[in-house]
Amino acid sequence: MQITVNGQTQELTVQDNTLLIDLIRDQLHLTGTHSGCDTTQCGCCTVLMDQVAVKSCTILARQAEGASIQTIEGLALQDLHPVQEAFSQEHGLQCGYCTPGMIMSTVYLLQRYPNPSDEQIKEGLAGNICRCTGYVNIIKAVKSAAKKMQETKA
Amino acid sequence: MNSPKELLRKEDLRLITGHGKFTADWSYEGMCHAYMIRSPYAHAVIKKIDYQQVLKAPGVIRVITAEDVQQAGMKSLPTGSTMQNPDGQNQVLTPMPVLATDKVRFVGQPIAMVVADTYEHAKHAAELVQMDLDVLEAVTDYEAATQSQAPQLHEQANGNMSLHFIKGDQAATEKAFEQATFVSSMGVKSQRLIGSPMELRAVVGKYDPVTERYIVHTPNQGMLGMLGALEHITGISKAQIDLQTQDVGGSFGIRGGAFSESVLVMLASKLLGKPIKWVGTRSEIFLSDWHGRGLDLNGFIALDENGKILGMRFENKADLGAYTCYFGSFIGARNVSITMNGVYDIPALSMSSELYFTNTVPVSAYRGAGRPDIAYAIERLIDHAAFEHGFDPIELRRKNFIQPHQFPYNNQIGSVYDCGEFDRLLTRALEMSDYQNFEQRRTQALQNNKLRGIGLAYFLEASGAGTAPKDQVLGQFTKEGILRIYAVTGASGQGHETSFAQIVHEKIGLQTNQIEFVAGQSDKVMVGSGTGGSRTLYGAGSAVFNLCEQVLEKSKALAIQLLNTKEDKLHFSNGSWTNTETGEALTLAQMVQKTFVEGQPHALNATGEASSGATYPNGCHVAEVEIDPDTGVTEIIQYIAVDDVGVAISPALVQGQIHGGIVQGIGQAFFEQAVYDETGQLLTGSFMDYAMPRAGCLMNIKTEKIEVPTKNNILGSKGVGESGCSGSLPTLSNAVINALRPKGITELDMPFTPAKIWAALQDH
Repeated sequence: MQITVNGQTQELTVQDNTLLIDLIRDQLHLTGTHSGCDTTQCGCCTVLMDQVAVKSCTILARQAEGASIQTIEGLALQDLHPVQEAFSQEHGLQCGYCTPGMIMSTVYLLQRYPNPSDEQIKEGLAGNICRCTGYVNIIKAVKSAAKKMQETKA
Repeated sequence: MNSPKELLRKEDLRLITGHGKFTADWSYEGMCHAYMIRSPYAHAVIKKIDYQQVLKAPGVIRVITAEDVQQAGMKSLPTGSTMQNPDGQNQVLTPMPVLATDKVRFVGQPIAMVVADTYEHAKHAAELVQMDLDVLEAVTDYEAATQSQAPQLHEQANGNMSLHFIKGDQAATEKAFEQATFVSSMGVKSQRLIGSPMELRAVVGKYDPVTERYIVHTPNQGMLGMLGALEHITGISKAQIDLQTQDVGGSFGIRGGAFSESVLVMLASKLLGKPIKWVGTRSEIFLSDWHGRGLDLNGFIALDENGKILGMRFENKADLGAYTCYFGSFIGARNVSITMNGVYDIPALSMSSELYFTNTVPVSAYRGAGRPDIAYAIERLIDHAAFEHGFDPIELRRKNFIQPHQFPYNNQIGSVYDCGEFDRLLTRALEMSDYQNFEQRRTQALQNNKLRGIGLAYFLEASGAGTAPKDQVLGQFTKEGILRIYAVTGASGQGHETSFAQIVHEKIGLQTNQIEFVAGQSDKVMVGSGTGGSRTLYGAGSAVFNLCEQVLEKSKALAIQLLNTKEDKLHFSNGSWTNTETGEALTLAQMVQKTFVEGQPHALNATGEASSGATYPNGCHVAEVEIDPDTGVTEIIQYIAVDDVGVAISPALVQGQIHGGIVQGIGQAFFEQAVYDETGQLLTGSFMDYAMPRAGCLMNIKTEKIEVPTKNNILGSKGVGESGCSGSLPTLSNAVINALRPKGITELDMPFTPAKIWAALQDH
């Protein structure tokens, strides 16, 4: 099957039951996308598929045929993405395990709502679990990234 | 990629770009994959287990069984410290076997490990096992475990009891209660929790038959704890085990020592001559990571007519799970006793704890390991006593605070609190929370049909003195002049790389990009404690400080040579030595670069060390909540945390620890609970059933730190990792009860789920 990952289009052979996360981690060795549960609850595996945040543990690789996938490794090519920067500057991560998924969900959230309300942030991150930070600084990071991205645009 | 702009922590760049390396990210050529066969029953006699179909399945290479474990001469898992009953007899210890042999005692207990060419093959093959088990009745909590006809887990443990622990002066306490004008009691449960670090527990192992050495990758809290456990179980010298860890995705006390899977991967790698990877699924982690809490704390308080506390007593029950593992016994016994007077000057204390076995996952340390639990019990008891006998809860606390002039304060259990300014923190918390105008807000809320409550708690906890007599760190300079620091302790999110660099930068002026921290390398010989009891910053951090003092002293001699001058003509500032006569200056890095000889340790290399005692972080938290009586849903309107953390080295990281701790407390207070059915099946076995706190559960929080430096370590810092949940459990609970009290509800146990609150409101 053909798939584009982080801008590179490639031909891969997958089993019918291969999950997208396994393709990303095991075949492409992009280990920044993490697995954290078996039930589509934790969001550690979140990637963008055709610019929409999806949980790569709950998508068959074949469902992503022809799609363009962006993983955490593909977010910063020249400079860090403002969301990445904001997560560090606001101390929105501790152990860092949930962070790639949190960042990808935030990128998607800010795509939809460039200036999100508290409710929109809660809803946008409802599918991502963090055990370390208490989310306080994650929410700060989302707001700070939104502000920075707005300023850059203006 | 262009060089990044200012990032907060040294760890962050790799973690925000997906280049962190967690255990499952290690892979080797020719690696095989393992899957565990676990007990489907909580209590059963093993009659026969047939692996024939498993072995015939595609891709299967071997099944590692209890026989293999026995042949390898492995011991059971460590049981932690042994404590004594009142009659002087040792407690009953029941070490957990690596793989079950005659009996299984909890759902999820490891029975065998299947090794195959792929993960999928191993997993599918494991399902083909034929188990002939005689299922027995199970007990899943101490009430069931202590019934007269209760099934017994272990032959040697009569009535399923491991230990009756007593502490304090029972006679003096009894007398205090006899003399009391007012007596109150409050029983609370600190329910069983599942720690749930986000990284799935995993092990990657590789045996080299030529050197007879093992490489092991697995999440841990510092190398010596993990290596010690691996050595204890396998009998393989820790000198033969190369423990390599980069990033650990959370730990919270659970991952201090080895699990069955750790040593099975080592054994399989040796038997098969192949690298082996085991990564648990989340369901397996729910069934096999040590659980936390599981305590029933019954407090009694004796007051005189003015509200002075005369005595306090606790009668506790602790659920150990099926075996005594690691810190399990310590939690409900020693750890709940050491600070059982909280922040109060109480002349008579006594404690009694009974520890029981149940057919559940063994319990071990989880964020605070008994200290948040006792802080919770004390502060609910104080509030309850104030309510019952008509005292103002703030004034009752104030009246009984240990006063600054009483430090060092010996409590009646034998702990020595070194310092604290409780009144100062309380006063600040009252100001920040606008406590005095609360009743107006309650009245306003009532107009919107909301029950508003305010809760305050003053907690104190004892952060760890450590398991090792001292902490050492090795400092080695590279030829580029970079100081590389090796330590026993290992991070799982705390930011060691950043905090230690901060200490070095402040002391000897090296820039943070000239400092590297390396955790857990087993070829470096050091003593020290791992990450636990919130002690790394002041334990290993004090050793880093001492290392800097030595580097500075040694560099002076070098500066005399290189700057061609005398000691009294030298000045050190901002990381440079200056010859005050010529103005010539050299940075430490330049001095190292000039004098580095390839292949030789540099003259400035040193071993830093320090002995640091326990510290007593404390704080006053105030929460305001609103309950919707129609739905039972509680909203946290405001949370104020004023914490005495001693000297804060990295204030942003300290605040992050407080936030995280508070929200883990929110998890316990409102959402989390491990629930077993009567047959011992875990009903909360996934994130679908075990409710974790989510983004936005706490929107309005204000934290403030008040630094009262401790003298128990050279940095003056106190442990902060467990403060948050020690404060938030009683604070939130007192707020919920405060909201419900006008409706006649004075007692309720966590978690305060909407269903529980709604039901309680219907009954009143």
